[in-house]
Amino acid sequence: MTSASSLTAARPEGPASSRSEERIDRRRLRSARTRQAIIESYLALARETQQIPTATRIAERAGCSVRSIFERFADLHALRVAATDFTFVQAAAQVLAHEPKGDRASRIKVHVQSRAQVCEYWLPLWRALIRNQGDSQELKKRIEMVREAILKRIDMVYQPELADLPEHQRRQVLITIDSLIDFESWAHMREGRGLTVEEACAVWQYAINRLLPPTPFLDAAAGRA
Amino acid sequence: MVSGQDRQHRGDDSMARAGRAAKIDGRHLRSLRTRQRIIEAYLELAAEMSPRIPTAAQIADRAGCSARSVFERFPDIHSLQVAAVDHAVTLIIPPPPRREGDDRQARIHAQVESRSRSCQIWLPLWRSLIANQGESAELRQRVTRLRQGIIDRLSTMYEPELSTVPEAERLRLLIILEALTDSESWARMQEFFGLSSDEARATWRQAIDRLLPPTPATP
Repeated sequence: MTSASSLTAARPEGPASSRSEERIDRRRLRSARTRQAIIESYLALARETQQIPTATRIAERAGCSVRSIFERFADLHALRVAATDFTFVQAAAQVLAHEPKGDRASRIKVHVQSRAQVCEYWLPLWRALIRNQGDSQELKKRIEMVREAILKRIDMVYQPELADLPEHQRRQVLITIDSLIDFESWAHMREGRGLTVEEACAVWQYAINRLLPPTPFLDAAAGRA
Repeated sequence: MVSGQDRQHRGDDSMARAGRAAKIDGRHLRSLRTRQRIIEAYLELAAEMSPRIPTAAQIADRAGCSARSVFERFPDIHSLQVAAVDHAVTLIIPPPPRREGDDRQARIHAQVESRSRSCQIWLPLWRSLIANQGESAELRQRVTRLRQGIIDRLSTMYEPELSTVPEAERLRLLIILEALTDSESWARMQEFFGLSSDEARATWRQAIDRLLPPTPATP
């Protein structure tokens, strides 16, 4: 038989405990929101200045105290890594929203447009990341991850054209397209030569079309279907 | 009439003036040499520390002068950066090799050889320049000028092929060729893809050959 006291002790879902759980949940939610506000403030400041912002400026922008930052991140480097991860998730979502399908011209067009969108939006942060990576292995690893993702995407989008090429030629085409659609190549067209987004996209589309080998007949037929 | 004493005075004056001028010239020359040493020290350090910018103390130490000497010649590090880039520009873009009578493959080969050499030598400095141009209109202008120099060179090298296409397509091709043979593209082929210098050059040659329009038949 169970005693009254043991019943009370075992009961997990009384009104008091649910109130306290609710309180904890609300606190956690607030804390997560503050964390997100800190990351977004860091990114906004890095974008504006292309420098690593100070803790004071981040706190000011996020509307919290400097202490709040260091309660959530061990140091500014940890915040930088978290902000970089957040950026990658955002950029990946941007890219995956446009799935290149269909014939050669449509795939080139969609691929170029989504890459251009990423370059246009993330260029200042990419520059800040490259400039401020210093000796951080964590940041270097993330830069490498981005490069690998860009390369995998090229490989995936142009699979019909690349599939039948001998390995070393396939690699050469991949490397060339990867160089071509780099952030700084975009920056040069937009900032250096004053091209509009459409004009710059047209340059990349033209180049990729010339660099790719002919599309096999089967794919062309599938594209039309 | 001029007396002997006057002549003597005039002679003394002109000798003193010549002495002073020589002293000023010597001082001026020394100052120019120090300026040059500071620029070279900056370039060495910027390449070693790329993409970070060296401090005035580090530059002075390498140049064998005081930090004050640095700031007597350059109001701030940014002015020194601009002067150093101006000095480097002449070295980054060598004059195009002769191409008369060269066939397409020989020209592609020569251009890739010389561009890859430049990239190999100047990559750290170029990275430092790109990373630190920030909002500086002067540095941005120099980046644009450097890129334009490379484009002009490409235009000369591939004139036979480029002359066969309309102006808009020619410009498009030049932008692409410049982006393709960029210092970062060279670095990535080696650092990220692990290509040897020969493999990297072969990749560029293959891409340029694919991109260029057919070479017109010589009359």
